Amino acid sequence: MSTTPRGGPLQGVRVLELTKVWAGPYAGKLLAFLGAEVIRVESEGSLDVTRSFGVADINKAPGFRAVNPQKLSVQIDMKTGQGIELILDLLKHCDVVIENLRPGAVKRLGLGYEAVAKVKPDIVYVSMGMYGTQGPLSYQTGYAPCFAALGGLSALVGHEGEPPAGMNIRYADSTFGTAAAYAATVALLHRRRTGQGQFIDVSAVESMTSMIGDAVMRHELDGSVPACDGNRHADMAPHNAYPCRDGEWLSIAVSSDAAWQQLANAMGQPRLAMRFASLVERKANEVELDRLIADWTIGHDASALAEQLQQCGVAAAKSASSVDLVSDPHLWARGFFREVSDGEGGSRPIVGPAWTMTRGAEIRDGAPRLGEHNAYVFGELLGLSPDKQQALAAAGVTR
Amino acid sequence: MSALSGFRILELSNGVGGEYCGKLLADFGAEIIKIERPGSGSATRSLSPFAPGVDGVEASGLFAYLNTGKQSVTLDLSGANGRAALAQLLTRVDAVIDDHAPGWLADIGLDPAQLSQCHPALVLCALTAYGQSAPPERRHAEDLNVMHSSGWAFHTPSASPPSSPPLKGPGRFLASYESALDAALCVVAALYEREVSGQGRFIDVSTQEVLASRVDYVLGQMVAGDMDVSTSRTALDLFGPAGIFPCRDGYAYIWMSAPAHWDALRKLLGQPAWMDEFPERWLERACTPERVAQCRAHVAAWLQTQDKETVSAQAQQLGLTLVPVNDVRDLHASAQYAFRGYFSDVQHPRLGHARYPTVPYQLSATPARIRAPAPLLGEHSDATLASLTESAR
Repeated sequence: MSTTPRGGPLQGVRVLELTKVWAGPYAGKLLAFLGAEVIRVESEGSLDVTRSFGVADINKAPGFRAVNPQKLSVQIDMKTGQGIELILDLLKHCDVVIENLRPGAVKRLGLGYEAVAKVKPDIVYVSMGMYGTQGPLSYQTGYAPCFAALGGLSALVGHEGEPPAGMNIRYADSTFGTAAAYAATVALLHRRRTGQGQFIDVSAVESMTSMIGDAVMRHELDGSVPACDGNRHADMAPHNAYPCRDGEWLSIAVSSDAAWQQLANAMGQPRLAMRFASLVERKANEVELDRLIADWTIGHDASALAEQLQQCGVAAAKSASSVDLVSDPHLWARGFFREVSDGEGGSRPIVGPAWTMTRGAEIRDGAPRLGEHNAYVFGELLGLSPDKQQALAAAGVTR
Repeated sequence: MSALSGFRILELSNGVGGEYCGKLLADFGAEIIKIERPGSGSATRSLSPFAPGVDGVEASGLFAYLNTGKQSVTLDLSGANGRAALAQLLTRVDAVIDDHAPGWLADIGLDPAQLSQCHPALVLCALTAYGQSAPPERRHAEDLNVMHSSGWAFHTPSASPPSSPPLKGPGRFLASYESALDAALCVVAALYEREVSGQGRFIDVSTQEVLASRVDYVLGQMVAGDMDVSTSRTALDLFGPAGIFPCRDGYAYIWMSAPAHWDALRKLLGQPAWMDEFPERWLERACTPERVAQCRAHVAAWLQTQDKETVSAQAQQLGLTLVPVNDVRDLHASAQYAFRGYFSDVQHPRLGHARYPTVPYQLSATPARIRAPAPLLGEHSDATLASLTESAR
């Protein structure tokens, strides 16, 4: 059970999730990591696809478990009037609601902001949509790579002079979720100081554009239209990924003249340091410099070379594969990867928060089984008698 | 009153991450006192883009974008006078944001380990590439390196051949912007709790972890042993016909994973014969590389004859997830962005007028707003330092 206090800055905050897939649940996860009690409303009749995707046991779905640690699950069927009433009752006990259902769905269900504010006037209501809830394109829908394409990111990702290839297909949902979690927290602080709740309308596409704000700004200043630039950087050279032994890659970013001298020395070519002493000279010859560096790196082990360059002050890092990531000792030491209870007396590793903080929230449980917290929500929060709970279950409202 | 009005935050940041974090707070009305080095100012003042015809420390469009609504105070923190002023400022602020390398805060007299003794009510947030406990071999990092150490670059673009260099992602600073979002979230959460407890805290944000956590859906399965890890460049990919295709006037992205998408495409194309060769529900049940290639070839031939915006609107009406691949001109011209007021007109004393991108969330009671252009270097030094002297009397 996850209902005893865990500490953390958001202890005492209760969040209800009417969410699907990744972006909405990611927002809820961040709030849970900060100490909030986060309850996901689920039902057998409209299961999140991440609960059922490629698995026999909906309580052990890997994708769902990856994004929903430290949350509670309650079963309420939103296709029934009684279910909607139950959710409205529950919202009276909540501080925040997060929804990322299809455009217009919450309104049709009777769970739009106006309906919720009627029963809980100071609710912080977070609505997440590809384009936001209103406007000429708000009817459109899409998945993460659509957000990146629409937001201007995909057009910038590709090898120089080639058509855009786009960011890895997994990018976008979690960034969108973080923007929503930040806005929700700001609204909670406002409510704590004034008693006033509000409606928050978050756009996935805009969350993408905010990741390239400076490129959008550049267009305003000089009219330029940035295109795919490979691994180039206007203010640094060399700046690229270089091939190493065994198909590995090493990233090197030379951010100062001094770093360039160190790199040239490490390559055993100190005359290069003199020849391309300034950024202007290095930018003008970066194709040639990239070739020389690649000739040097190709015979080396990427990790060893990264360490050697770090020792002389050059920003270098191995390009991490999925093996490198899950075996990164630093990520384990910091508690980014950590063990939580698996609900069956054992433990299981999760991806934890990207920060540490003093007086942070305890994170101890994995993702909930479907309806694991029905008794807590219906009994303790709503005060429904066992008979009433049984009647609701028998009627299918809490399936 | 906006959500953060009345909060005073000291920004020691010298890079994109810390400055963007400060901006996210300034947008909600927090008073941000930005400390800059005398002479050259923040490091971002020397980064492009530069406005044509403007010289020196006020020319950077990057600085202008990242520092709207802040105050600039120049202080030499390596000298005794600067340190004394800093010590006084620390007693008057609610939070501090920094993005220097680990160890720097202790060097200027603000050791995170001493925070609860020396400044118990202060919220201190540090953004660094690998966290405060970074080992020596991770001491030096730019955004490029963190894109690589977090796994994103190795797996970008999707379906990359192993011989093709991994890509850094869009633009220069995605890693910093991402880290700033988490930092701003933690700072505001800390201020929320502080309202009641009166206590501050130290927050240590690792950009590598922020980026790695953005792929938690996959990485969480991998670390739990539910999904294979490998040295493959395609380990994060979803396979299928989705992708970017050339149109007459640019590019479009099409997503197809369900029968509904296939049916919508069939309608949009007018029941073409080639689609009959595919078995029913092939996207879910029989998505072979050969069929994907075949499907992609037909889609490519068709989209080449289309305009990205028009064909996307037609597709969306039918339930097909097809969207234009927008460039910065498209964003500035977007009817949806105009409707939501995503761009904000800002008049800067040196850079002139420009439309600045804003933030992706609209709050009905406390909207985020650019309150003032970025400050000139040291613009608020006299007023701020004079007020310190006065209060010291």
